[in-house]
Amino acid sequence: MMQLKALMVKEFKEAFRDRRALMVAMSMALLMPVMIMVMLKVAIKEAVDNPAVYVKYSGEQHAPKLIEALKDENILSFSDVPKDEERNWNERNIELTIPDTFAADMAAGKPIELTLRADYNEKSLSTPIRRIKDVVNQHSLAIGYKRLLVRGVDIKLLQPIKLLEQDTALPSSNAMMITLILGVYLMMAAFMSGLPVAIDSSAGERERNVLEMLLCQPVSTLKIVLAKLSCASSISIISIILMLVLTSIAMNFVDLTKIGATFSIDAQTFVILLLLLIPICFLAASLQLLFAFQAKSFKEAQSTVTMLIMAPSFIPFALMMMDDKPAWVEWMPISGQSLLMEDVFKGLPIDWNALLFTSVATIVLTVGLVLILAKRLTSEKVVMSLS
Amino acid sequence: MIEVNNLHKSFVSKKNTVKALDGLSFTAKDGEITGILGPNGAGKTTCLRTLYGLLRADEGYATIDGIKVTEEPIKARKLLGIFPDKFGLYERLTAYEQIDYFASIHGMKGANKHAAIEQILIDLEMTELAHRKTVGFSQGQRMKVTLAQALVHQPKNFVLDEPTRGLDVMSTRILRNHLAKFKEKGHCILFSSHVMQEVAALCDRVIIVSNGKLAAQGTPQELCDLAGEKQLEEAFVKLIGSDEGVAA
Repeated sequence: MMQLKALMVKEFKEAFRDRRALMVAMSMALLMPVMIMVMLKVAIKEAVDNPAVYVKYSGEQHAPKLIEALKDENILSFSDVPKDEERNWNERNIELTIPDTFAADMAAGKPIELTLRADYNEKSLSTPIRRIKDVVNQHSLAIGYKRLLVRGVDIKLLQPIKLLEQDTALPSSNAMMITLILGVYLMMAAFMSGLPVAIDSSAGERERNVLEMLLCQPVSTLKIVLAKLSCASSISIISIILMLVLTSIAMNFVDLTKIGATFSIDAQTFVILLLLLIPICFLAASLQLLFAFQAKSFKEAQSTVTMLIMAPSFIPFALMMMDDKPAWVEWMPISGQSLLMEDVFKGLPIDWNALLFTSVATIVLTVGLVLILAKRLTSEKVVMSLS
Repeated sequence: MIEVNNLHKSFVSKKNTVKALDGLSFTAKDGEITGILGPNGAGKTTCLRTLYGLLRADEGYATIDGIKVTEEPIKARKLLGIFPDKFGLYERLTAYEQIDYFASIHGMKGANKHAAIEQILIDLEMTELAHRKTVGFSQGQRMKVTLAQALVHQPKNFVLDEPTRGLDVMSTRILRNHLAKFKEKGHCILFSSHVMQEVAALCDRVIIVSNGKLAAQGTPQELCDLAGEKQLEEAFVKLIGSDEGVAA
């Protein structure tokens, strides 16, 4: 116990005195809230604003008031399109044809047929088309109402039923994307923050010839591994706590309700996220140590261990692509946590059984890796690559 | 007491096989300083690494005070103070912290530990260095820190792999006096060196290793007599040059 304490004290002293590695570890935590905030701002702007739409009119001179009404909704003529967007809107090719007889038919009270031509299957056109339709219908209704009004008819008669709409849909795709990115980012922080410390205390110590001396001492390799593991994972735990605190502060500066998301980091979410991520920190540190001890040099360790970044970033995306998820992904390390995090961000109630299972699975895997590593450190191969 | 018995060790790689130890046996007794000599590549370091339990012998065994290193490595290492051939320092720790670290690993604690550290700092004349971070230490200063951490727990047995390389004259003398003191107290000291005068002056017994085998052993005087030379250096060259009739 005393040995373990001495080993740990030394690891922590070294880690906290290595300011550069510590800065790298914490930089993810510091950058993340800023990134999330900027992304949310952009997403909200896109969702709420009415970007300009350019329509190829023919016969626009016949219906100046309609064109004016369209203009009010930021639907403009193709002749006004800025140079850099010209190619795009030419390809999208939305055409609105106004017949020559528009003014005459309007005066005569005859029905008028406008033609809207566009590729209705094109996804990016659905919003512009909807907006054009809305304006034309509104304009048409307004004229109709006025006609009735001047004839002394109450226009309420035309609306016997009024439908009030309440949207309970899941957050829009933008909001989903952001919560997914938040999840991946948290996972990556848990995975990567301890990395510089893990490499330094394994491959680094070997390169500085201090590992050989330590391995000659009367101390079990298990204790050595545990000390290094607890140090590296503590750094990542500190990093994710910092990240969560800063993110929850940053979230106060953006109005998520505008895009239909209702995500906030309250005390309970905070605790659940920590419960999910702490086992990941341990798993990540053990994987990093295993790979770093395997490598022949500090440089090799850096490149191979960085490959581990694949795990936390790839698995959540793979899960998103899977439509029918097999049961085991719910309790597998990393995938289980990322599914649960998705639930948390959607505001769904947490499945405590799944949380327990996936945490236990992660911890079991970590223990396995630690034992393998402790065994490997007694082997000659590790010693031989010392020299 | 350190005993090495019929050690064999080969390093096998894809291209070639190197036989580093080929049936090496010797004993370093308590209360004696035993020098281990040999040309580069003779197998000294491999032998010492087997003693620490870093390498496993293909055949034969090493014991420290009767404990087999391969069977109970941790127990055996507790009885050892090691100065390895390659050493580094924890550059973000101070010299004191580093010595403290190794003392704690050896199970020392509290006031005892601090007294021991203070004592070794005084003995090796390095109190001024104690609270400086070891980054930027000179070779000699680094050696001193490593020596201090090997000696702080006053082990029964010392294994020192060329402990005087890079030390200045004063430090070498301090170390020699220190080793002599430990010898009088009945400790067993095994050290390798390339400096013949040092070996001749300090060692009670000398072991000469060549090609992974024992080439000769005895007091410096006996070795000189055996080779018919006056100087140990001449005797050494002669003994490793021809193993005829001297592999006693």
